[in-house]
Amino acid sequence: MMLFSRVRGLPVLTPGDADRVGEVRGLTVDGAPWRVTHVRIGRGRLRKGAVVAWSALRAAGPDMLVVRSAGGPDEVPPHRELLGSRVLTECGEERGTVLDAAFDPVTARIEAVLTTRGELPPDRLLGLGDHALVVRSGTAHHRV
Amino acid sequence: MNGLTAVRALTTLPVVTLGGDAVAHVKDTVFDTSAGRIASFTLTGRTLLSGPLPRDLPWPAVHCLGRHAVMVRDAGALCELPLSAARRDAARGRLLGAQVLTDDGETVGTVLDVLVEGGTSGRLVAFRLAAHRELVHGSRHRRHRVYVPRGEAVSLTGRTLVIPAHARTYVTDDLPAFVARVGAGHDRGRDVAS
Repeated sequence: MMLFSRVRGLPVLTPGDADRVGEVRGLTVDGAPWRVTHVRIGRGRLRKGAVVAWSALRAAGPDMLVVRSAGGPDEVPPHRELLGSRVLTECGEERGTVLDAAFDPVTARIEAVLTTRGELPPDRLLGLGDHALVVRSGTAHHRV
Repeated sequence: MNGLTAVRALTTLPVVTLGGDAVAHVKDTVFDTSAGRIASFTLTGRTLLSGPLPRDLPWPAVHCLGRHAVMVRDAGALCELPLSAARRDAARGRLLGAQVLTDDGETVGTVLDVLVEGGTSGRLVAFRLAAHRELVHGSRHRRHRVYVPRGEAVSLTGRTLVIPAHARTYVTDDLPAFVARVGAGHDRGRDVAS
């Protein structure tokens, strides 16, 4: 189990010469099933950041990430920041903001999302966009 | 979840898809006065300087109306609508600022706000009036907190609201209590009807 907040800032290395590529700036997530798809790597102020697919990582440890090669994937999905995003139920009620999220480093599946109003299981997440993370309300409220 | 929402508070509310993207902001709420519910919303763009959008959001496309957002299934819920038509609809079904008359023909105030039921119903529940002294005595502050349940209204168009001369208006500081009374009246009405 790894936390988004712990992964942020970890050094990213290449395996052969232990060359430092940069440090983790953020994790891109995708739904259905909810998992971490890409790692965004910052390479200093003057250089453009890099994006590496989570499946291209060779190892993910508590102190560093090791990538197979520094080459990025062909297509980069739009990045939505999960940490700090507003939580909105499908009924349009705000439910705090996202503080952190836990995921399994092997399968990259998100296991729980911690918000200012408590913990959410991944099966309640509906979508993450530029405005909010939309979650299923506790009491289902559907149009018939 | 079907709390009451003041229509004035809906302006600037974001329209959010279930995917979490904000696609527009609410500009005006258009009422279907004969059915007594929200007909549609006119929209503005998302940034401060973006003007009105040539699209509207019809009520059947709304997934849920909440206190912090109008939820839609996806961006396809918005319908293309020429700006002139949007403006005409908004002027016709706006209700805010409508004259309030009694059935004796006396003007007793104007509509300040409209309370609607949230969630998926969008039903028009009550009006908040700026009442003249003939209807309610007291300070201006007090006269601006006069509520009339929708059931009292005799007729309702975009520009005028006619209430019976003996209308049971409520002056309230305590909106939840008013809502409970209106709810009780509504349930009673339903029992009688069934």
